[in-house]
Amino acid sequence: MTLFFQQLVNGIALGSIYGLVALGLTLVYGVLKIPNFAHGALYMVGAYITFVAAVVYGMGYIGAIAVAVIVLAGIGVALERVVFNPLRHAPRLHSMIAALGVLLFLEAGAQLAWGAEFRRLPSPFSGTVVLFGLPVATQRLLVIVAAVAVMIGLSLFLKRTTTGAAIEAMAQDRAGALLVGIDTRKIAMLTFAISAALAAFAAALVAPLNLISPTMGEAVNLKAFVIIILGGMGSIPGAVVGGYLLALVEVLGGTYISSSFSQLIAFAVLVVVLAFRPTGLFTRGV
Amino acid sequence: MLDVDSLTVRYGRVVALREVGLHLEKGEIVVLLGANGAGKSTLLRTIAGLLRPLTGSIRFDGSELAGCPAYEVVRAGIALGPEGKHLFPELSVRKNLALGAYPHRRDRAGVERSMEEVFSLFPVLREKAGDAARSLSGGQQQMVVIGRALMARPKLLLLDEPSLGLAPLVVEEVFDAVAELNRRGTSVLLAEQNANAALRIATRGYVFETGQVALAGSRDELLDNSDVRRAYLGI
Repeated sequence: MTLFFQQLVNGIALGSIYGLVALGLTLVYGVLKIPNFAHGALYMVGAYITFVAAVVYGMGYIGAIAVAVIVLAGIGVALERVVFNPLRHAPRLHSMIAALGVLLFLEAGAQLAWGAEFRRLPSPFSGTVVLFGLPVATQRLLVIVAAVAVMIGLSLFLKRTTTGAAIEAMAQDRAGALLVGIDTRKIAMLTFAISAALAAFAAALVAPLNLISPTMGEAVNLKAFVIIILGGMGSIPGAVVGGYLLALVEVLGGTYISSSFSQLIAFAVLVVVLAFRPTGLFTRGV
Repeated sequence: MLDVDSLTVRYGRVVALREVGLHLEKGEIVVLLGANGAGKSTLLRTIAGLLRPLTGSIRFDGSELAGCPAYEVVRAGIALGPEGKHLFPELSVRKNLALGAYPHRRDRAGVERSMEEVFSLFPVLREKAGDAARSLSGGQQQMVVIGRALMARPKLLLLDEPSLGLAPLVVEEVFDAVAELNRRGTSVLLAEQNANAALRIATRGYVFETGQVALAGSRDELLDNSDVRRAYLGI
């Protein structure tokens, strides 16, 4: 029972990270129809910025998270301006190739700047707290609470504010958005900023639990694509539910079936879901 | 109010509009007639800023709009209810309308007033305000299209084929609403295949053929013209 409870908490913590990363990916896909293969690399850069701010510049952990989120939001805007905006009238394949280029650029850049060796970020929340009579790592609890708070905040932003409505409008009909007077360039930049900031936030939360390296984004990137295909490309609830679903299946499957299966499970789930619902769990049949 | 002069628009190598000129005075309803592909839609989409003209000018209340992006054209006072509707299907009718007032979004009281005005023009939309736009009937969706354009408080409303796919009774309802909003002070430029319904409310019209203006005249001149009667009125 203790094992199950701990694995459940681990699964929910991992799902929170997956959910945040997949949210950013699905947002950019939904609004701009770009599958951003560089999203995992943004996550990796976010982890490094947190590490540098906390360890090299001696900022507190919370301050380092804020720095990473702000820097990555800026990188997101720069990517939209410099790489993806000039390609918006080109065939879709061009922005996919450009995204792969950004991925390689960021990974090589990180290796050049910070080296290939693994880094560890010490957590100020290294202890455990007792929850329902069982010990839970404080950092994992922080991951869950912070991630859920951000997801709720994002959802309120999209549903309750005019700017949020403009993002949804652009995702649903770009010409319609232009016609009502929405400056789609600004919304595109904002979407990239939010997307990259979400990746940075996820990375900063997970950095004290995992090792940091230039290739740490690759597995997460792959999982995030599995999640948004599973949840439905562009679907916000799909990204969140898909993130938790995948993480729980991975962690619990890894515990009770076989740990060597845990990577395989993600793709087994994907194949099964697509066999029955080819458009994903949360999309309307077209 | 609106002066279009020698406007040429191309899609790739195809010339969709060739040296088109037309004008519209404040308070008018001007109708554009013509077969599919004659250039009516292209003209409206170019005025609205969705397409860039190759040459020519679009002057509106003294300022040049040719080549301006759509979001600036809306701010200048021209709103388009496009063919194909381009609503936001998953958002509620209320949100669709509210987004129509995007240029005025900081003026919340004004947005509410505009919304009341749209509801008074299309009472059925008040009942459907909470429903997703995609769940409405074709006629109701067309009302949202017109309502959303009105939310921008345009001086000039462009409407592209508002009767397309609607039952005759609904067409009448939509055109009555267009005549009513015109009485309330909005000028209208209307592209329409349904010449009977359109000429009923129009002051003047232009007939388009293969990207050019073939004929222009007042409502009565067009109704009396034998070519127009044969080609567009079926008499």
